[in-house]
Amino acid sequence: MAISRSTYGTRRLAIVLFACLLVALFLLPSQSQRLLQYVGGPLGQILSVPLAAFSSVDHGISETWNAYLALQSVHEENRQLHRDLELLKGQNNQLRESVAATRRYETLLNFKQQSPSQTLAAQVIGRDATNWYGGMILNKGESDGVRVEMGVVTPAGVVGRIVKTNSTSSVVLLVTDPNNAIAGVVQRTRDEGIVEGTSHGRARLKYIPLLSRVQAGDRVVTSGLTGTFPRGLAIGGLTQVEKSEGDLFQSAEIEPEVDLSKLDEVLIITAPYEDADSAQKLLQEIRGDRKKP
Amino acid sequence: MKFLLYLLLALVVVPFQTTLLHYFSVFGVRPDLGLVAACLVGFLGGELDGLILGLLLGCFQDMLSAGDLWINVVTKGGGGFLAGLAGRHMAHITPAVLTAGLAIISCLSSAVFLYSMSPAGIDEVWMGVRSTVLVQASFDALVGAGLYLLFRQRWSDDRMVTEGAL
Repeated sequence: MAISRSTYGTRRLAIVLFACLLVALFLLPSQSQRLLQYVGGPLGQILSVPLAAFSSVDHGISETWNAYLALQSVHEENRQLHRDLELLKGQNNQLRESVAATRRYETLLNFKQQSPSQTLAAQVIGRDATNWYGGMILNKGESDGVRVEMGVVTPAGVVGRIVKTNSTSSVVLLVTDPNNAIAGVVQRTRDEGIVEGTSHGRARLKYIPLLSRVQAGDRVVTSGLTGTFPRGLAIGGLTQVEKSEGDLFQSAEIEPEVDLSKLDEVLIITAPYEDADSAQKLLQEIRGDRKKP
Repeated sequence: MKFLLYLLLALVVVPFQTTLLHYFSVFGVRPDLGLVAACLVGFLGGELDGLILGLLLGCFQDMLSAGDLWINVVTKGGGGFLAGLAGRHMAHITPAVLTAGLAIISCLSSAVFLYSMSPAGIDEVWMGVRSTVLVQASFDALVGAGLYLLFRQRWSDDRMVTEGAL
């Protein structure tokens, strides 16, 4: 790559260009965000090609690694049959991987059928471009109907919410990121609070009423108060409750239900309640619950 | 032509960073290849080149990150530009100088990220500095120095030719 050093004129141009950018960003934040979003549309299309290529390499590596691990665990058991199976080993590996994938898809499908929400299956194709945000990149975007603020879950529980989309991919902000906030409720005591991520990669339930009797081991689920998630989806279990003298609320640390470091497929909640009837039914249920003494 | 080369570089670096770089993470921290690339080009090619590549990389990184849309554009563009300014005032860029320069720019870039996250108190700031800023600065500096050593011969020739021409 031939790189030549810039002249005085180009240096001035660079300074002016960068200064203009900074002024625009700080004086007109929302307009410049919109402009960047507008510019990002076609760029996203271009970026999706190498992203898909790198993602397939990544999946190839992880599949090979998983196949290797699976082989290690069954090696002792199959040693006597090893010679007979030599020819079938490669095929066997592929089948194992397919079975594992099928089971994952089956679990997702079961969850999808039981869930009152409309969901869309997506694959994790990458992680956040920086070290500062707990984010993941999904292979579904605006062209698939994905929009900002949609919830993302697995059968185990809540993963996060969509914060950015382009035509072919979207970015999920994980439940463990400090910038994320989800309305949660303690399943046993029905105390409501806000689940926020922590800088330690966990989550914390904040604003629990002072007189609440929450304790370690209690499970936290989504409250359904915001439009992102339907109520009752698992978020995690409380590991430690903190109550400081003089504080107006208690807070508690949450161990997330989902292992966020090992996600391959997720479901995006495109509509928290499948139709108006189920939303109405849920509303009636809630009203019915409240009428009970 | 150069712009196309930078565009191509950005289209390779950013997807690589998001999909495959987690295999090379240390304590969960990955090097910021975008910043390293912008700074190297800035150091060796001048501030305009550093700025242009930094803006391109930042734009792509912002699209694949959960943060605000401006943050990578500003940090990578600024990093490339600063590296260009620093490179202009140095007669000889040695691996040691490059390593130190990259570490400083990486720390500055991380400081912007840390500030944008509005940490709750000094404890969170220190936590961020210890767990991410310092690790990433070391990582960026080492990767940058490694890349420089790998391509030193070619870049040295370019500098000699272009400086002679100037």
